[in-house]
Amino acid sequence: MSRLVATFERLRRTKAPGLVCYVTAGDPDIERSTAVVRAIAETGADVIEIGVPFSDPIADGPVIQRASERALAAGTSLTSVLAMVADLRTTCETPIVLFTYVNPVVRMGTAAFVDAAAKAGVDGVLLLDLPIEEAGEMRAALDSRGLDTIFLISPTTTVDRLRTAASLGRGFLYAISRLGVTGARDAVAGTARPVVEQIRAATDLPVALGFGISRPEHVRETCAYADAAVVGSALVQVIADAAPGDEARAAGALVRWLKS
Amino acid sequence: MTVVKMCGLTRREDVDAAVAAGATALGFVMWPGSPRAVRPERVATITTGVPSHVMKVGVFVDAPVAAVAQAVTAAGLTAIQLHGREDAREYLALGVQVITAVAPQSDADIRAAIALPGTVIVLVDAHDPVQRGGTGRSANWPMAKQIAAARPILLAGGLTASNVAEAVNAVEPWGIDVSSGIESSPGIKDPARIQQFMTHIRLSAHPPTRPSVGPSFGQRDPDSRGYFGEFGGRFIPETLVAPVESLTAAYVAARTDPAFVAELQRLLSTFVGRPTPLYEASHLTGDSGVRVFLKREDLAHTGAHKINNAVGQVLLARRMGKTRVVAETGAGQHGVATATACALLGLECVVYMGADDMARQALNVFRMRVLGTTVTSVDGGSRTLKDAINEAMRDWVANVSTTAYVLGSVLGPHPYPLMVREFQSVIGAEARAQILRDTGRLPDAVVACVGGGSNAMGIFDAFVADRGVRLIGVEAGGRGIRDGEHAARFAGGVAGVLHGTRSLLLQDKHGNILATHSVSAGLDYPSVGPEHAHLASIGRTEYAWVDDDAALRGFVWLARQEGLLPALESSHAAAWLQEHLVEFQRGAIVILNLSGRGDKDVETVRGLLEVQGPGFGGGR
Repeated sequence: MSRLVATFERLRRTKAPGLVCYVTAGDPDIERSTAVVRAIAETGADVIEIGVPFSDPIADGPVIQRASERALAAGTSLTSVLAMVADLRTTCETPIVLFTYVNPVVRMGTAAFVDAAAKAGVDGVLLLDLPIEEAGEMRAALDSRGLDTIFLISPTTTVDRLRTAASLGRGFLYAISRLGVTGARDAVAGTARPVVEQIRAATDLPVALGFGISRPEHVRETCAYADAAVVGSALVQVIADAAPGDEARAAGALVRWLKS
Repeated sequence: MTVVKMCGLTRREDVDAAVAAGATALGFVMWPGSPRAVRPERVATITTGVPSHVMKVGVFVDAPVAAVAQAVTAAGLTAIQLHGREDAREYLALGVQVITAVAPQSDADIRAAIALPGTVIVLVDAHDPVQRGGTGRSANWPMAKQIAAARPILLAGGLTASNVAEAVNAVEPWGIDVSSGIESSPGIKDPARIQQFMTHIRLSAHPPTRPSVGPSFGQRDPDSRGYFGEFGGRFIPETLVAPVESLTAAYVAARTDPAFVAELQRLLSTFVGRPTPLYEASHLTGDSGVRVFLKREDLAHTGAHKINNAVGQVLLARRMGKTRVVAETGAGQHGVATATACALLGLECVVYMGADDMARQALNVFRMRVLGTTVTSVDGGSRTLKDAINEAMRDWVANVSTTAYVLGSVLGPHPYPLMVREFQSVIGAEARAQILRDTGRLPDAVVACVGGGSNAMGIFDAFVADRGVRLIGVEAGGRGIRDGEHAARFAGGVAGVLHGTRSLLLQDKHGNILATHSVSAGLDYPSVGPEHAHLASIGRTEYAWVDDDAALRGFVWLARQEGLLPALESSHAAAWLQEHLVEFQRGAIVILNLSGRGDKDVETVRGLLEVQGPGFGGGR
């Protein structure tokens, strides 16, 4: 059983609200970013999404765009992110999902990427700009090494596509709460609940809901109908605002607050 | 005006009378078996002083290539006409226009004539088992008409003042070949009959009509997933999948809806100002003997080809019930075109533009604002075109229900590369009809600059099936082919995915996109249209690059020789031609797509030329 499947089974069994935390790898550099991930794993993140910085992040809002620029400026690459995961795996058993745009993976080569990800201890992969129609080869390669392919479901996803994603997806489905790019909001979008309910009608796969979630009450509200809430930009912002060297502590504190 | 070739000339006074009457080609029979035979040296003597636009044609019957070559030199011929069983292809290397006579008697003959190389001019004559040409007998007009419907022809065979109007009406040829019909006896022309003949051509009801051409739809679609070979496809975030699918469905429905196509055609002719002219730039050619034609997209409304696509996409957006349009722009030309189309059709418009590009193209920013568009500065990344696309896509993701994304080049997820090429295909459709009208044949090469590649795909489209026509794209070499210093994807690109499509990308070894540089904002982009990558991979198109300095020389070249200020983008194509003109054969025909005018770049050019100092580029 994969770490992701086991984690979501535990969340369902204990009826606990799940928390998926996103960080951009290498922001502000690989070393401090590794410390951040350790801290959020220890303070209660159920799943960690590690974002691979990319030069042209079209699906991301300004907070994660800036994080990507800082990480790239510090020399982060897909190769160094995979090394970071391998390093984390020596002490950390929290499921790790790699969150990436497709071009760095294309450049590395699908087979080489899947091999390296499996060896590093990655549990699942979400490719932001690789829709189901283009994902066949990648999914088969990931599947053959026991890695879960995570698909996104948005308010614009049709029922037919949702069924396809449900049958091809592994681990969980990532539901996008609203139209638009990543970024914190004051309230969870009104479109969130219908999206999750539509997914529930189509599949038993766990559902994590993201985009715009930034506060403990958002997490509680979301987990009334979803298996987990995803917090990204709010966490990335805390890391950006932290004094140098204080990133891990600040991120851990935010996660503890979100779980409260 | 019908082209007229007067053939069988043997005397100086007949040459002068023919030119004075308006003949655009003069024929001299080099076959010794003819009563009108004339020696090459005599042709040289009686044609001194004939204007250069008048073609001097030697008529041969089964003469070996070497003998024809000698005659071409001795007589000063600019064209040869083959009347025997020669294979025209063997004579193409002589570097003069080849005209092949055919005398169709069957459907197979018609097909063979149509299949002759596009650079050959076809002359349709009467069949005569004994004599070859000059027999006074009529050609098979119905069969000639079938060939003329497929390619331009010269109609020959027993034409006289009394039947030429009827022949023109029946066949609709590109030109007329007349010999015995203007003679008093073999080889002796009669000035009165020449005048009478020309008068009757003018009386014909159908002087060759300008073909009515518009965009070409549904001719070369990608596969169902939007791939051209291994390039293209749809690499987009999930939220955009449904909107892009509905855009595809709406586009496919629109392009087959006569009402949509008619409305587009109406706007292209009455608002954009199409067709744009094809102008023979005779000062550019120097001593090369090459004929250079400029497709004048700089004369389209707003000063560049971008308006063709903007009007099409905004019309489609309105048809889909969208009330708001977003677009990106690099040089500002697509932004201005989209702002213009939105003002015309009543849609709200937001244009994203890199902060650096806004500084480079301040006047275009102002033009857009005057047109009622909101111009938003993009400060992320490299602050140029690719970042403007990123930001426009983010806006679109957030506002898909009300908003259409009007993409300016043959880039992005399917259907954009197809749709933008089809809206731009009007350029090539017009240029192909115009070059056939003006020269009777297809060009040897078509040259265009390539940023994303929409002007190039637009003009290449009509010629892709004409295998003999070289299609040459010119990229921006910037300050030289080193990472971050150029935008020549075919020189340094590796296959990858950016902005929704798989194509060639300038990227580092980790798959991050490299910065690019070009003096021209419109070519300053790290990827290229996927169909370009595909056509290159199958060897149909060629790509070259020229650097910033060469582009400036191209700018000055067109300015001084022809009185045209080209856009810095188009200057790259001009610069390539300037450097490679001597490599074409005499008589070769080249079309250069003058994709936009250079007024927007005058400030940039001034800054650079003042650095270079006085005397830059030299005088004429």
